[in-house]
Amino acid sequence: MSKGVLVDITRCIGCGSCTVACKMWNNLQYNQTAPDKGSGLNAENWTAVNRVQTEKNNEPVWRFVKYQCLHCEEPACASACFSKAIKKTKDGPVVYDVNLCVGCRYCMLACPFNVPKYEWNKTFPQVRKCQMCAGRVQTGESPACVSVCPAGALTFGDRNSLLAIAREKINSDSSYIKQIYGEKEAGGTSWLYISDVPFETLGFRTNITTTPLPHYTESILSLTPAVALGWGALLTGMYVYNHRRNEIAREEKEPGDE
Amino acid sequence: MDDHVKEDEQQLYKKVTRRSFLKMMGGLGLAGITMSLAGCSNSSMVEQAGGDGWLPQQYQGRGTWPAQVRGRVPIDPDNPSITRDDQKCILCGQCMEVCNNIQTVAGHYGLPLANDVICVNCGQCTLWCPTSAITERDDTQKVLQAIQDPNKHVVVQTAPATRVALGEEFGLPPGTWVVGQQVAALKRLGFDAVFDTNFTADLTIMEEATELIKRITGDIIKPLPQFTSCSPGWVKFCEYFYPDLLPHMSSCKSPQQMLGALAKTYYAKAKNIKPENIVSVSIMPCTAKKFEMQRPEMISSAHYWNKKGLQDVDVVLTTRELARMIKQQHIDLSKLPEQKYDSMLGEGTGAAIIFGATGGVMEAAVRTAYYFITQQQPPANLLNLTPVRGLDGVKEAALDVPGVGTVKVAVCHGLSNARQVLEAVRQGNAPWHFVEFMSCPGGCISGGGQPRSAVPPSDEIRMARINSLYQADVQAPRRESHENAEVLALYQDFLQHPMSELSEELLHTEYTDRGKKVREITA
Amino acid sequence: MADKDKWRFTMTPTRYVLLVLSLVGVLLMVYRLASGLGSATNLNDQWPWGMWIGFDVLTGVALAGGGYSTALLVHVLGIKKFTPIARSAMLTSLIGYLLVMAGLFMDIGRWFNFWRPFVSWGYHSVLFEVFWCVSLYTLVQLLEFGEVATEKVQKGWHKLFKKALPALLIIGVLLPTLHQSSLGSLYVIEVGKLHPLWWSMMLPVFFLMSSFFVGPAMVTVETMLGARAHGHKPDISVLQSLIKVSGYLMLVYLVLKVVDLSYRGATSLVFMGNLEGNMFLLEMVLGIIIPIVICFTPNLRSSVGGLVTFGVLVVAGVIINRMNVVFTGMADFMGGSYFPSAIEWLVSIGLIAIGVLGYLFIVENFNILPNHKHDQAPNLNNSINTSTSSIELSN
Repeated sequence: MSKGVLVDITRCIGCGSCTVACKMWNNLQYNQTAPDKGSGLNAENWTAVNRVQTEKNNEPVWRFVKYQCLHCEEPACASACFSKAIKKTKDGPVVYDVNLCVGCRYCMLACPFNVPKYEWNKTFPQVRKCQMCAGRVQTGESPACVSVCPAGALTFGDRNSLLAIAREKINSDSSYIKQIYGEKEAGGTSWLYISDVPFETLGFRTNITTTPLPHYTESILSLTPAVALGWGALLTGMYVYNHRRNEIAREEKEPGDE
Repeated sequence: MDDHVKEDEQQLYKKVTRRSFLKMMGGLGLAGITMSLAGCSNSSMVEQAGGDGWLPQQYQGRGTWPAQVRGRVPIDPDNPSITRDDQKCILCGQCMEVCNNIQTVAGHYGLPLANDVICVNCGQCTLWCPTSAITERDDTQKVLQAIQDPNKHVVVQTAPATRVALGEEFGLPPGTWVVGQQVAALKRLGFDAVFDTNFTADLTIMEEATELIKRITGDIIKPLPQFTSCSPGWVKFCEYFYPDLLPHMSSCKSPQQMLGALAKTYYAKAKNIKPENIVSVSIMPCTAKKFEMQRPEMISSAHYWNKKGLQDVDVVLTTRELARMIKQQHIDLSKLPEQKYDSMLGEGTGAAIIFGATGGVMEAAVRTAYYFITQQQPPANLLNLTPVRGLDGVKEAALDVPGVGTVKVAVCHGLSNARQVLEAVRQGNAPWHFVEFMSCPGGCISGGGQPRSAVPPSDEIRMARINSLYQADVQAPRRESHENAEVLALYQDFLQHPMSELSEELLHTEYTDRGKKVREITA
Repeated sequence: MADKDKWRFTMTPTRYVLLVLSLVGVLLMVYRLASGLGSATNLNDQWPWGMWIGFDVLTGVALAGGGYSTALLVHVLGIKKFTPIARSAMLTSLIGYLLVMAGLFMDIGRWFNFWRPFVSWGYHSVLFEVFWCVSLYTLVQLLEFGEVATEKVQKGWHKLFKKALPALLIIGVLLPTLHQSSLGSLYVIEVGKLHPLWWSMMLPVFFLMSSFFVGPAMVTVETMLGARAHGHKPDISVLQSLIKVSGYLMLVYLVLKVVDLSYRGATSLVFMGNLEGNMFLLEMVLGIIIPIVICFTPNLRSSVGGLVTFGVLVVAGVIINRMNVVFTGMADFMGGSYFPSAIEWLVSIGLIAIGVLGYLFIVENFNILPNHKHDQAPNLNNSINTSTSSIELSN
């Protein structure tokens, strides 16, 4: 059963426990020059909590948005990887294997959420992003960030049951936006969000396709064998035909010359 | 700095442990090579990707079981009082524990948030944090700069509670009385004048007792009980959670703000110093004072001189910050000769000294109120008002005052205790005339800016500091605020009388309804 | 030994400059491999792909398309009048691809792992197809060149190469068809990120067509420069018919572009007056429409000036197109900023210099150019121009 996390943005108090848990569990480094400031995602920040100042019912409100890899159901990064260094596990996490990575960074380009980051300052850099604590999830534990949330903003569970929970929440409480972000975006993601202010004002990419991104390339790549065989046959045919014609022309010419 | 660099270097070299060596040898095996070349070893991928770091024990275990202590308190990056270094945070949950259960702030407001990270700035979390990840916001640089500026006249005031705790930073036992050494240290640091907040503590009593009597007699139409207003964490708490009870709050400013306002008016005038050249610093046991100081209404001197940009208090340092400054100058506080506060704003009575302990403000107010009403010295039991002393959460006393009858008072400290009293007042079950509230358990002596002599603070240390204050009160030549000669001189030369027009302008204030920032808790 | 004077390579001042640039390039490449991408390039998390991928690889492959288009025309379709240009075009292509491989190697972060996709098949990836096709095609081109090389060295193998040539040539047309289009498919997954003026499911078709019609344009430019260098008249009639092949294809390309834009409802974006719209107009007017006009105006087509203008514009158009896809079209979504570092420039320039020197050496020592026997003394002052490789022009 594929696992996921439901983020209820209305519950987040912005304490940043999740970011610290992520650093601790994944042995990530702190930025020595700006230890306390969230500087968005980077090679050492696999998750970040952004404070968004917006409005609700004409009154200014702050909303805190936890951001990390959304672990797409059909991840563009995994489909873009030409050496299978990124994979979607059956539990849900989209994980990275440095041993297979060539370092082309096509995953970074392919990600519709601009999540994967790179260790630019290393000789042999790795692609870095949230791994959804795949090891913990495999043993039935929740990801580190979820386990430390004091506000109940993060819920870990089967994606299907999370969707049911989310649906019930947004239907029973009129203050919620009637949308579960991640239900359909990019073909669906393991991380799901509900909110009481529109997602676009919170910095979410809402103009995103609901078709899984790999489908776009697959529809083209699936043509490759046919094109290769057909074009190859055509080329061979043309080659044989033209050479035969030239030979005949030469043969017809030669007796005349002699 | 060097240590950081060294740590980083060490992290560069990954240790070869027996496990990693064996793992490597396994990987070199033929099967390993084939598998890993083709990327077939799926399980190792998950293991490798899963992280192998460390989390406190309460977060481990299958599923999402409730943890007794989870996460940490939110801190606004712009919080004027406290900051947090994420690098030191271990998610132990102690800040949440104190904020939620002892101060009843975190978890006591509804979600979603309004546009505020609810915090009363009490700084108790800085005392509970085992790694000092949460600390006071360090303002010592501002003070050093002001001292180095020859154009600035830097005055400093010290709160009642710092003199029984500062010594702990220099190896002295908890509660050691270091008032003279503290003055000496401040003079050596280069402050131009060293004043005592006890002076304005006495002044506060003059004003607050007058206000109380006026409320009781109906001279001013404001509800009873009257609430004390000298603990800024408590004031902000009331503004957030009980804004409907703000009319109960005494309009008196805290002693810190009174002294700040006087330094730039009364003192500036007398010494003929331009108020804009005065930098007013205060040494407080309190992190909320850093918030109080920058409240927009705390600019009475600007109104008085009609000059924009004047602030009554410019910088607030906690006891810990002062200790740091002294240590940086290689001054050993314990070896300093005792020195006296400068005059004009430097005298304090025994009544002011006990401001630092829970119940102290009440006791001081009772002594002076008794005198104001009866024009007689209070009886001995009022000079040793044991019912309001000690560390019980809510303390009550009933006093017979000739001409008025029985005056009922209550004292509470720690904001969870305050909630009990406030709920009673809200429901109309409050028999009291006057209630003292202190934000921090034990009062100012255990304020968020005090030395971390025990983590979390222990009642033992609290009592040591409290006892030291009461002992000083007993030994003080004058034990009632209305006997303070410099306060009397102030009224004679400047303010005229308590709650005069000028007193109202400089020494009294208004409060802000912050109820909108706090949402009701819904299921 | 008698063979000693078999090899010649006369140094000229220009060639010394190229040699210095090559050496600087090589040194910086070593530095890059030892120190990592961060210290050598200005790449960042917003711009994971920069000059080396966008220019050295994507544009390089497109401009090296002259090889397969010529091979198709001459060897498969048997249009014999194009034979004189075939060897030169295919050599340019081979060198172009070798430089592309080098550029790619510079750009991958874990270069010691470059071989992984051969064993760990990420076949869902467009890049997988590109990787295999480009590697195999480079190998095929090397083998094709074997036929030329064995005319001079290891002559015993010549017969074998000659025999294998038909198969090599067919594969050598098939593979580029696949990967030229796949380079376009790379950006199909950028749906919603790449500006709609460029993003289209037709991207592979557009990339394929443009790589094909830029071939004759490249050959035209090379031939004209070569002819001027050697002081002989270029065979304009060959080039005239050659660019007509481009012309017709560009006409189809233009129609397809217009249909594609209107089908996706993106036509209005062209005339928005913003950076994207203007760059798109530049690319289309300069690189497609004006060249089509030249191509189908007999007076212009038959003049040397017209031919050169055609060639230069088409090449520039394709370069602008690739830059637009990689940079202009992505800028809005990616944010941040990127400009190639000095090392990125110098490595690119160094690679080109190496390519030019390699081309010069081969042209002087093997039978590549028509009317120009390889054992003749070259006109040293001008020969540098002869050998302008695809990538140098693009600079």
